[in-house]
Amino acid sequence: MPDKNKLGVGLFLFSEGWFFATLLIAYAYFHSLPANGPSAANSLNVVHTLIFSICLFASSATIHMAARSFKRGQRAAVSAWLAVTVALGAIFLFGQAREYLGLFAHGVTISTNLFGSTFFTLTGFHGLHVLGGLIALGTLLGVTLDGRLAEVKPSGFESVAMYWHFVDAVWVVIFAVVYLWPLVA
Amino acid sequence: MKDAALPGPTAVESFAQDAREGWLSWVSSVDHKQLGIMYLLGAFVFFLVGGVLALLMRIQLAVPNNHFLSPVMYNQIFTMHGTTMIFLVVVPLLVGMATYMVPLMIGARDMAFPRLNALSFWVQIFGGLMLYFSFATSGINGGAPAVGWFAYAPLTETAYSYGPGVNYWILGLLGIGVGTLTAGINLMATVITMRAPGMHIRRLPLFVWMTLVTAFLIVTVMPILNAGLVMLLADRLLNAHFFRADTGGSAVLWQHVFWAFGHPEVYIMVLPAFGIISEVIPVFSGKPIYGYEVVAASTLAIAFLSMLVWAHHMFAVGLGHAFDIFFALCSMAIAVPTGIKIFNWTATMYQGRVRFTTAMLYAVSFLLMFTIGGLSGIAFAVAPIDWQLTDSYFVVAHFHYVLFGGTAFALFAGVYYWFPKMSGRMLDERWGKIQFWLTFIGFNLTFMIQHVLGMFGMPRRVFTYPPLPGWEAMNMISTVGAFVLAFAVLVLMINIVISLRSGEIAGDNPWDAWTLEWATTSPPPPENFTHVPPVNGRRPLWDLAHPDRTDEMLARAAG
Amino acid sequence: MPGTYSSNAFTLAPASPQAAAISSLFIGTLYFLGAILILVTGLVLYAIVRYRDRPGAPEAKQVFGSMRLEILWTAVPVLSLAVLATFMVRTMIISDPPSAGARPDVRLIAHQWWWEIIYLKSGATAANEIHIPAGKRLLFDFRSADVIHDFWVPALGRKIDVVPGHPNRLWIEADKPGTYLGACAEFCGNEHAWMRIMVIADSPEQFAAWIKQQAAPPAQPVTAEEKLGAKIFRDRICTNCHLRGVGPDLTHLATRRTLAAGAADNTPQNLAAWLHDPNTFKPDSNMPDFKLSDDEVRALVAYLETQK
Ligand code: HEA
Ligand code: HEA
Ligand code: HEC
Ligand code: CUA
Ligand SMILES: [Cu+2]
Repeated sequence: MPDKNKLGVGLFLFSEGWFFATLLIAYAYFHSLPANGPSAANSLNVVHTLIFSICLFASSATIHMAARSFKRGQRAAVSAWLAVTVALGAIFLFGQAREYLGLFAHGVTISTNLFGSTFFTLTGFHGLHVLGGLIALGTLLGVTLDGRLAEVKPSGFESVAMYWHFVDAVWVVIFAVVYLWPLVA
Repeated sequence: MKDAALPGPTAVESFAQDAREGWLSWVSSVDHKQLGIMYLLGAFVFFLVGGVLALLMRIQLAVPNNHFLSPVMYNQIFTMHGTTMIFLVVVPLLVGMATYMVPLMIGARDMAFPRLNALSFWVQIFGGLMLYFSFATSGINGGAPAVGWFAYAPLTETAYSYGPGVNYWILGLLGIGVGTLTAGINLMATVITMRAPGMHIRRLPLFVWMTLVTAFLIVTVMPILNAGLVMLLADRLLNAHFFRADTGGSAVLWQHVFWAFGHPEVYIMVLPAFGIISEVIPVFSGKPIYGYEVVAASTLAIAFLSMLVWAHHMFAVGLGHAFDIFFALCSMAIAVPTGIKIFNWTATMYQGRVRFTTAMLYAVSFLLMFTIGGLSGIAFAVAPIDWQLTDSYFVVAHFHYVLFGGTAFALFAGVYYWFPKMSGRMLDERWGKIQFWLTFIGFNLTFMIQHVLGMFGMPRRVFTYPPLPGWEAMNMISTVGAFVLAFAVLVLMINIVISLRSGEIAGDNPWDAWTLEWATTSPPPPENFTHVPPVNGRRPLWDLAHPDRTDEMLARAAG
Repeated sequence: MPGTYSSNAFTLAPASPQAAAISSLFIGTLYFLGAILILVTGLVLYAIVRYRDRPGAPEAKQVFGSMRLEILWTAVPVLSLAVLATFMVRTMIISDPPSAGARPDVRLIAHQWWWEIIYLKSGATAANEIHIPAGKRLLFDFRSADVIHDFWVPALGRKIDVVPGHPNRLWIEADKPGTYLGACAEFCGNEHAWMRIMVIADSPEQFAAWIKQQAAPPAQPVTAEEKLGAKIFRDRICTNCHLRGVGPDLTHLATRRTLAAGAADNTPQNLAAWLHDPNTFKPDSNMPDFKLSDDEVRALVAYLETQK
């Protein structure tokens, strides 16, 4: 039988997937309509965001390494990989905050127009999920630095890793739809 | 099994003792049985509230041009009635029933996540209180939301509903949604990981199986509603534009999002009821369920199709014939797996020995009442008929037949069936039969005539109406029926109170049933089982009682 | 209050080819569904009577199912639904004929809680009571000024939602002259109940005369009282709403049968009561209560009664 904790987290992520899918569909629907004012094409900086996105994508690899070290019981490696993951995630959030502030400075907010509404809702909820993941990762990091790694259940560790991969995967889709789509069209 | 039972009084005494000792346990418990009962009680209280709201509506509608309720009040009341009945009554009742029964039926000690279980319950209750708090908001635009249970935008936008009522509706539903979602995850994880040895997935009692499928639907569609609510909240609080047609938003998008959740939701509200029926009918026919595999598989078909039919609620929006035809065909298709169930349940009774307990009376009338509701659903699935009848009282009749005649009747059957297990005492059968007939008559009196009312052109959600031909008499009949129903609810309450005090002692297995919950004491001990009987088939207790004719042997003999 | 109704809103009493198509599909479907209901009821009743538990009844037979029966009760519904579906598609085309390329004749703008009617060819405007020439189909164009409403006149055919940002079109016609009742069928707020519709099919001559009347400029007040009423009408800023599509156009109010979208018969007494306090008939509508004096009301009624 599958591990119940991992199954529980998996089901939770499955449901989160539908949540993001709905927000993405709303985004895509309005994006496909003709509109004036700020839009993905004229307000977003793909290159900047790509750089920060690469950090997030990379953090998927680092959490994977952390989980592998955890399985092998290499305590120091776990802390190191976790720290790198947290740092990469934090850089991503920093990038997102910067992007938001830039948009606000140009008067683009959630109430500006439909681009604003859909963009901030979609990426905002993703950002909140990254933040949640960072808190979980930070807790794990704290526990490992404290030398209490043995108390962490493998399924608990893997659950956090699964969550982080999920947040990452969602961003792959968001990045493609929000940032790359205008380039193609 | 009888000999293995604890002597009855002990069980009841210990139950009474627990109740005395454990007032605190009502808030601190993480035991699935106690939480299950809390779900059922909480939902029953909301049912009384929703029912009283319904009575207020029926009083207002008894005669034309009535001034009993103001329009604003009436609109709040039907919104709260619908929202309450769906989110705070039917779903929690079914979740509660599953919370109590599923671990027992699969031979587990508890749910997969007992603490999450408590959290789900309390979050859900909190959401409900949040929703009702809206009644306390005052001022010109205060009061409860007055937008209907599916809250079509842009009526829900601040421009048209400036009071805080809709905000409470959104926040309340988010709470309820999160509670239901976590309950769904918990139920799924329980069924998948906690089964007793031998309880293969293909041996699950059908109630458990259908709960599993329901939980899957919950996990899939609840987040869609949550996403919609979040967008609406952004519109209302942050001045976003999602559903505001005047600034480029889309009123139709809300409908898509809501019904992509809303239609699967109606199957969330009926599949566990199908499960109850699949337990009750075989037991009281003395036969195994007819076509187990087909009944189980048709549930999957229904769940799958349920995600492809949402826009049958939007036939009148004017989205084009091709669009309507697609959703019409998918909707009609659902009749097939549902019909398969109806026919298999009926076939289960053939060549059986049908015992007319109250539970069975409800189960049999479920077959007929649900079929009526399902068939009127098919009428709607035929798009041109929907073009005439949507948003008329025909719809009100349809969904009360499936929800009340279907789900509620099944729940009544389940209550009479499982009450002995939960309380240790039988629910009185004489009171039960009185309640059954009152419910049956009152229900049909209230809602049958509404089909005709709809065909005579009466729109739904009107606080009053002109005396058009036939409308007066039909509305009066419906109102009378509602009061008969209310009386039936009182009888149920009386029966429960009387039976809890002085009902006959149930013993472990009063009905000669076969699933694992009947292998333990009534009520079960905190750890559920002292030992779980071996599970070699779908009817473990049958196999124990008939070692010479176990299900396996019977099946082999049948070839 | 509107008292008696000679006409009804019965879905099975069609008065147009579109409605007739739906009606016969509906009746056919009812027979089909009725037959299924009788079948299921019969099977269930037979089972519970024949196999009821009684002394001496045979023991329940332990059978598990039958693949042949399963196939039977899968295939028969599939086939019968396929037949039903073909009838459905046929009826859709008759009951909602295509309108692409055609120019709309009438624009119907739904407001919370009244209907604005614009005859696009003549420019005539009206409210709540829609006149059409019998025997001729007109293309309606539906717009909403605020929330979602729905146009439903059962005797004339399908209903159609009136959705802001999503214009809809529908052919409307009536076989014979007559009055056809309907209502807004999508919940749209406080006074959704009193957002009723009346479609009046006239003979072609009557219709032409009616259109001419509605397109005519407002009648001028004659008596002193009427003149006073006209002055109050301007001073009390009634025109702010009633000439701008916020409230119904009143230039031909006296030709209407009902007030406030069916909430009351259009009599001088009811009009006076309405002006005293609109909440008497239609609480919480968007027409404010001006707390007019009796004299003002009398003058306004006198003036408005001239608006033919
Ligand atoms: C428990 C809840 C429940 C269930 C099970 C159903 C079941 C079905 N519903 Fe219903 N429905 C609601 C709850 C439910 N509904 C609610 C709450 C609304 C209104 C929401 C609102 O507007 O407020 C609604 C509204 C609704 C509409 C929109 C009406 C409108 O507003 O315009 C439609 C349209 O297609 C529809 C269709 C169906 C169909 C096809 C089924 C099918 O699943 C039925 C299948 C069952 C049978 C058909 C009977 C048994 C079958 C046989 C005996 C086999 C032989 C039969 C044939 C060959 C036909 N429903
Ligand atoms: C499971 C769901 C469910 C249930 C059980 C019911 C039960 C009832 N409903 Fe409900 N109804 C809905 C779901 C449900 N409804 C929904 C979803 C809507 C749509 C809302 C919308 O349009 O948005 C609706 C709308 C609706 C309408 C249409 C309103 C309108 O469109 O204007 C009407 C009108 O008759 C109605 C009537 C009733 C009645 C008479 C009952 C009766 O069966 C109620 C019986 C119960 C009681 C009468 C309670 C008994 C109480 C006592 C005995 C008092 C004891 C009290 C104390 C001890 C405090 N309902
Ligand atoms: C704030 C806008 C507003 C103002 C100002 C206003 N009205 Fe109205 N009026 C309405 C609206 C909106 C309705 C439609 C009410 C309904 O049916 O829901 C209406 C309806 C009416 C009707 C019934 C029309 C019909 O077709 O049935 C009459 C008569 C009327 N108003 C007269 C007046 C008079 C006289 C005044 C000035 C003293 C006035 N109104 C000022 C908004 C206004
Ligand atoms: Cu307009 Cu209901
Ligand atoms: Cu549906």
